[in-house]
Amino acid sequence: MKTGETGILTTTIDKALEWGRSNSLWPLTFGLACCAIEMMAVQGSHFDISRFGSEIFRNSPRQSDLMIVSGTVTKKMAPRLKRLYDEMPYPKYVIAMGVCVIQGGPYVKGYSVVLGVDRVVPVDVFVPGCPPTPDALTYGIMTLQKKIRGETDR
Amino acid sequence: MVEILEEKKGKDGRPIFVIKKSDLLEFMRQKKQEGFDHLSLITGVDRKDYMEVNYHLYSFSKNQYIVVKVTTDNLTVPSLISLWKSADWEEREQYDMLGIRFDGHPDLKRMFLPESWVGHPLRKDYDLNNVQYINMDEYGEDYATFDPGDGW
Repeated sequence: MKTGETGILTTTIDKALEWGRSNSLWPLTFGLACCAIEMMAVQGSHFDISRFGSEIFRNSPRQSDLMIVSGTVTKKMAPRLKRLYDEMPYPKYVIAMGVCVIQGGPYVKGYSVVLGVDRVVPVDVFVPGCPPTPDALTYGIMTLQKKIRGETDR
Repeated sequence: MVEILEEKKGKDGRPIFVIKKSDLLEFMRQKKQEGFDHLSLITGVDRKDYMEVNYHLYSFSKNQYIVVKVTTDNLTVPSLISLWKSADWEEREQYDMLGIRFDGHPDLKRMFLPESWVGHPLRKDYDLNNVQYINMDEYGEDYATFDPGDGW
């Protein structure tokens, strides 16, 4: 808030923390299947999630605070996914990308696929599509930022 | 003397040889000497009454593929590991998915699924309604379970 010529900005610690947190979401490099190709496109120069503060994909779960589950989660992968999620420091967020991750997708009648990653880890934003376009994933990340700042309707 | 039961061409033009199971090792040895030095693929097919195993061989010098088919009634096929080392994992995969046992394989265990998994999922009579789940124990070993609360 600007008052006169002095230029004072008033805010709360919580607001400032949420603002900083939402604008420095570092995702974990975690591609499971074909959706990971679209996730790489999001990181590339054309779509470029650096514009939203998701600067680089970290290679260690201990340095990242956003897990984009991109691709089919098999039953064998689920314990590993849980372990990676447990290694991430708080606060941590999960984006479920693609229908395979949301409810099993085309493998819903198979024997080997987890029917929704929300059975394994809590999910913040669901991005549907097979695969979702880079625009959709960017929108998902922006939705997550709004959620962190407490601006969402739900 | 190897008896070829049937010789035909596939849709992709690859020659297909259907041979007896007892002739498999001898036939493959001949083909390897003829220059088919690369075992490209082993797959199995469940024909309900019997199992079929297909071998795709490739020759680098001739740039040519051939397909060898054998059928088995009692789920056993001779292992090709004495000819090609790559048969190791391919045969383990077929054992995992279809339950075909390969005689002479040194380490025939499941390739992808945990050892405690019940049944072979690519068989026609596999029961998909009896859902199994996988979890990891404290030593990092996978195990399969029917309890939905235990794994995923």
